[in-house]
Amino acid sequence: MVLTHTTNHTYSHPFPTVTLAFFLRYCSPQLNPFSQHVMSTDTLSSHVDPATGRLHTTRIHLKKSRMPPAIMKMLPTSITGGATTEKASYIMETSVVDMKEGWMSTESRNLNFAGVLSVVEKQIYTIPTSTNEIGNTTDVATTVVFRSRFGERIRDKLGHLHAHEVEQEKGGFFSRLGAHGIQRSIESLASKKTQDQLGKSREGMKLILERLRQSGIMGVLELRKMARERNMEKA
Amino acid sequence: MSQSLAKECNEAKERYDTCFLKWYSEKYLRGNGTEQNNECSILFKEYSSCLQVALKERGIDKLLEEAREELKDSDSTYMGKKK
Repeated sequence: MVLTHTTNHTYSHPFPTVTLAFFLRYCSPQLNPFSQHVMSTDTLSSHVDPATGRLHTTRIHLKKSRMPPAIMKMLPTSITGGATTEKASYIMETSVVDMKEGWMSTESRNLNFAGVLSVVEKQIYTIPTSTNEIGNTTDVATTVVFRSRFGERIRDKLGHLHAHEVEQEKGGFFSRLGAHGIQRSIESLASKKTQDQLGKSREGMKLILERLRQSGIMGVLELRKMARERNMEKA
Repeated sequence: MSQSLAKECNEAKERYDTCFLKWYSEKYLRGNGTEQNNECSILFKEYSSCLQVALKERGIDKLLEEAREELKDSDSTYMGKKK
């Protein structure tokens, strides 16, 4: 069972700046208030492919409550662990930038709860070819794929059995809805929430882009440093 | 503040992040960003050796391994479009 959501958007900023904003988007909640839910960001690897000149980067983000509360409520405590507050999820983000050809492709996927709900977001940033303002705008196509495997018995690559089984025999809520019904509900709930979030993440990108336009990368780094020092004084 | 998932890696992460962002905007975006002139690689090594320990302690390394396997499958179809 799969649900796909696609959107297109054009930023009124040049392509190189937009790719920089992508790396900066979670740099500080003072610079991007829409990133309050991002608790940490780490770089796992980053290298330039000598043959193509492409920059390959993998990062891991820890985000608050990636799983909508409505979904958490639907799931048995054997899966959620019984805790209902402050859920957090690790997100793996991979990106490839090709400056020569003028494109950036990104992919983000959740690492925990992947058996219950896997959300994979793919974005392609390109320089528009059909406008009069070549060089000043950047197109982005976003595709989000929701997939719930709730109730399926999945064997992973290491041969471990993930037991996200529906307790059919008890004749309760889950058996009435059925595994497929639950999967559909999970996917559509998540899809609704993600559509709201896509708007916010775009707003966050725009704030970073405006900062970059006003004060350049050195200005942004300075603001980030100041925000960081203020935080440390408070702590 | 965008911190590291492990507090003890924050200082090393900060140094690397600042270096990377400067390198990216001043060199890579201007077409001069090869691996050879990436002055951040020493800082990355320090940061990474701290982070790898933290990932193992939290069991995240295994989650990453699984995700990378899945990514390999989808990569061939997705990246094939952009050549």
